[in-house]
Amino acid sequence: MLVKLTAARVIDPAHDVNDVVRDLYARDGRIVAAPGASERVDREYDAAGMIAMAGAIDLHTHIGGGKVNLARALVPDLNRREILRATAVASACAGGPAPSTLAAGYRYAAMGYTACFEPAMLPSNARQAHMEMGDTPIVDRGAYALLGNDDFLLRSLAVGADQRAINDYVAWTLHAAQALGIKVVNAGGISAFKFNARTLDVDEPHPHYRVSPRRVIASLARAVHELGVPHPLHVHASNLGVPGNADSTLATIAAAEGFPIHLTHLQFHSYGTEGERKFSSAALRIAEAVNAAPNVSLDVGQVIFGQTVTASGDSPLQYRNARHASPRKSVIMDIECDAGCGVVPFRYRDRDFVNALQWAIGLELFLLVRDPWRIFLTTDHPNGGPFTSYPHLIKLLMRREFRNEKLAAIHPEAAAMSALKDIAREYSLYEIAIMTRAAPARILGLADRGHLGAGAAADIVVYAPHDDPEIMFAAPRYVFKDGELVAERGEVKQVTRGSVHTVKPEFDRGIERQLAGYFARYQTMSLESFGIGADELAELSLARELITHACRSR
Amino acid sequence: MQGEDASAEAALDAAARVLARARRPFIGGLGTDVAGMRATLVLARRLGAVVDHAGAAAKYRNLHVLQEAGWITTTFAEVKNRADLLVLIGDGWRHRFPRFVERLVAPSESLFADRLVRRIILLDAAAAGAAGALPGAAERLALAVPVPALPATLAMLNALLDERPVEPARLAGVAPEKLAQAIEWLRAARYGVVAWAAADLELAHAELALQALSRLVAALNRSGRFAALPLAGTDGDITANAVQTWQGGMPYPASYANGTIDFDPHRYGMPNVLGRGEADCLLWISSLARDRLPPATAVPTVVLGRADMALADEPAVFLPVATPGIDAPGHLLRSDKVVSLRLPQLRDGALLSVARAIEALLARLA
Repeated sequence: MLVKLTAARVIDPAHDVNDVVRDLYARDGRIVAAPGASERVDREYDAAGMIAMAGAIDLHTHIGGGKVNLARALVPDLNRREILRATAVASACAGGPAPSTLAAGYRYAAMGYTACFEPAMLPSNARQAHMEMGDTPIVDRGAYALLGNDDFLLRSLAVGADQRAINDYVAWTLHAAQALGIKVVNAGGISAFKFNARTLDVDEPHPHYRVSPRRVIASLARAVHELGVPHPLHVHASNLGVPGNADSTLATIAAAEGFPIHLTHLQFHSYGTEGERKFSSAALRIAEAVNAAPNVSLDVGQVIFGQTVTASGDSPLQYRNARHASPRKSVIMDIECDAGCGVVPFRYRDRDFVNALQWAIGLELFLLVRDPWRIFLTTDHPNGGPFTSYPHLIKLLMRREFRNEKLAAIHPEAAAMSALKDIAREYSLYEIAIMTRAAPARILGLADRGHLGAGAAADIVVYAPHDDPEIMFAAPRYVFKDGELVAERGEVKQVTRGSVHTVKPEFDRGIERQLAGYFARYQTMSLESFGIGADELAELSLARELITHACRSR
Repeated sequence: MQGEDASAEAALDAAARVLARARRPFIGGLGTDVAGMRATLVLARRLGAVVDHAGAAAKYRNLHVLQEAGWITTTFAEVKNRADLLVLIGDGWRHRFPRFVERLVAPSESLFADRLVRRIILLDAAAAGAAGALPGAAERLALAVPVPALPATLAMLNALLDERPVEPARLAGVAPEKLAQAIEWLRAARYGVVAWAAADLELAHAELALQALSRLVAALNRSGRFAALPLAGTDGDITANAVQTWQGGMPYPASYANGTIDFDPHRYGMPNVLGRGEADCLLWISSLARDRLPPATAVPTVVLGRADMALADEPAVFLPVATPGIDAPGHLLRSDKVVSLRLPQLRDGALLSVARAIEALLARLA
């Protein structure tokens, strides 16, 4: 089947193409070069005057796994406010702050997103994460496995295991959990909480293992790099949300020792202690550090005003936050000597000083970090707000006047303290295309996603241009996934299944002997039962295709 | 069919006819694995059915407290390796979860053994009598509290912990010095865990006892660490609820009537829907336990059940199905809600899995 999009204004930053009118062709799910004159076009879509980009990619969105499902169980009253009724193709399900997997897939696709990555898959919960992502229709998916609070790694570092052993363990984890990358959340801090330590600073020794978060970050960043995993270590730094945490964020950057590192939801880690309320923006300091450190990338975790439910692996943080819960309830879990989680409903209010400043700090980061190839558009869904607010967020970045209107409506002291009013920068469409397509594909190592060159997956979004970017991005004219028309004008037209992305770096299988003994003695399942094989992944994930991306060990 | 032998094809045809005629079908039991529940939900949406699990009454006791206040909970490996105090409520943990005792109450090894001197508090009349029979070297404290006195006992423990003025002697059947010792042990624990099976709490207001427990755990975390461990997973309840919750965005009981979805334990709970005559057909799914029988009802009933199920009444159609982990592979979620287990197939046979049987029904309804 040959599909033609005629005369689109193509924006494809991976190929330095900025608003060039051309025809796009897709055959059997892939983008192809212009066919010979004799070939018959099966379906033609008139895209004249419209803007075509590759499908958007969200590299940090909590769409599947135990804590997300806990959030759904915790707030049915909130989810009930946004019921998606059944249509000719889509099933009835609940949206809301902790949307069902079905709603997440439908809404992402309708908004022009064709790949979503779950950033916090506990190895002990990996099966469920893949099942939930498997029931997330249309979009491609993948996940980063959590390490850095697991007993095995901390114990290994405590006895001075050498880097090769750490690399083997990291590689084994990627295989066993069927992951695309490795994430660390509050390195050592979640484990320390189980030993009744409420905080753990970057250079503080863990109360039991005597290993500092700095050591954990350094060894994992190096392991991910040496194994040749394309995506750098994905880091949720220490002291999330704590005033003055900019210091620990800078210490975390230093801890990577020059190895690539991705700092996630950096807005929550860019706080100072200036002013009467001892809470201020450190976005400029952080942005300058990022601008000067080419090994660092980040996503923002923008706060959006309104009701949400936060779901994080950072159990000590969520335990502290539970007193701010709205509605007042929360779930905190210690998990399998492996990880933790916490779910806390929360309402961000524009008239609240702290929330208002958080909102401004996120936008400051977006506008002060110069390289759109290293900064990504996220709300840390659902923690800063729902992913459905992305079109609104894009408008805040592209329209200074709109941004200033919103700034005038927030808590006046927060507005006065923010540098936002003095920042003139407006993102171009080309920069938006970089940060939502080309750059995430590049930093995840997805060679055939995020661009419109021949051979790429035919994940294509066609927008009707509009003066208001929010309207333009909320409901694309056409969304194609693997060459199939899946949404039109913001409505799902066909429900397909996306692929699963993983990496499988080479490693010394000798580590499995050590792990088998460890699992038999201390874990509650055998090593053999722990790992997920390809056949099992296919069954759990219901994937169109299982895609393993190349790793070149370094 | 109606108690007469039939081919699987004929039974599926007849079952599809029963379902196709229904205007308000109810899908109950839900004793199945992940694949079976995925298929069940496709069918529920196709039929506009209400879905609920056979053991839902016990689950609501926990869910109610979760949705009102929340929990601080833990999982099996943490209990095995970290817990130095176990508070075991009721008696179900011994009978319903025998391997819980073997693997978690008295584990042979643990990671932090050097710091572990394990203590056990038993809070139940029957379990207290059997305290001596527990394996392991743990110190034991038995409070012989009958189930109906649990809410008062837990309230008393909360009050003593908060140092509120109370009169422990007013609690019938428990010596005040035992309560005092329990408080001392709770305060001394480095990582305490309180476990119970909600199915045990056959009380008029079990949620009051569980709310008191949630409060107790919260209070003990102010200066130390303590966590709850609700024991469940029976007949796939954790599995069915997890799949319903992620696909639907809300737990069961859920209604898929009229192209929408709704969650409401009172409106859609099985006893209420069947009792009020709001269903005109029952599809009963029970592939795990042979004794989970469909409730007595006058409406036409289709059973996808274990072959060795002893039904009291002959349903319109009985289709024997594979038991996951015996006749077919499958996946179930474990009691602690984090770990999913892959079940092997142990024997060959001709039985359809629940997923395959429902796919066959859907093909006939298309």
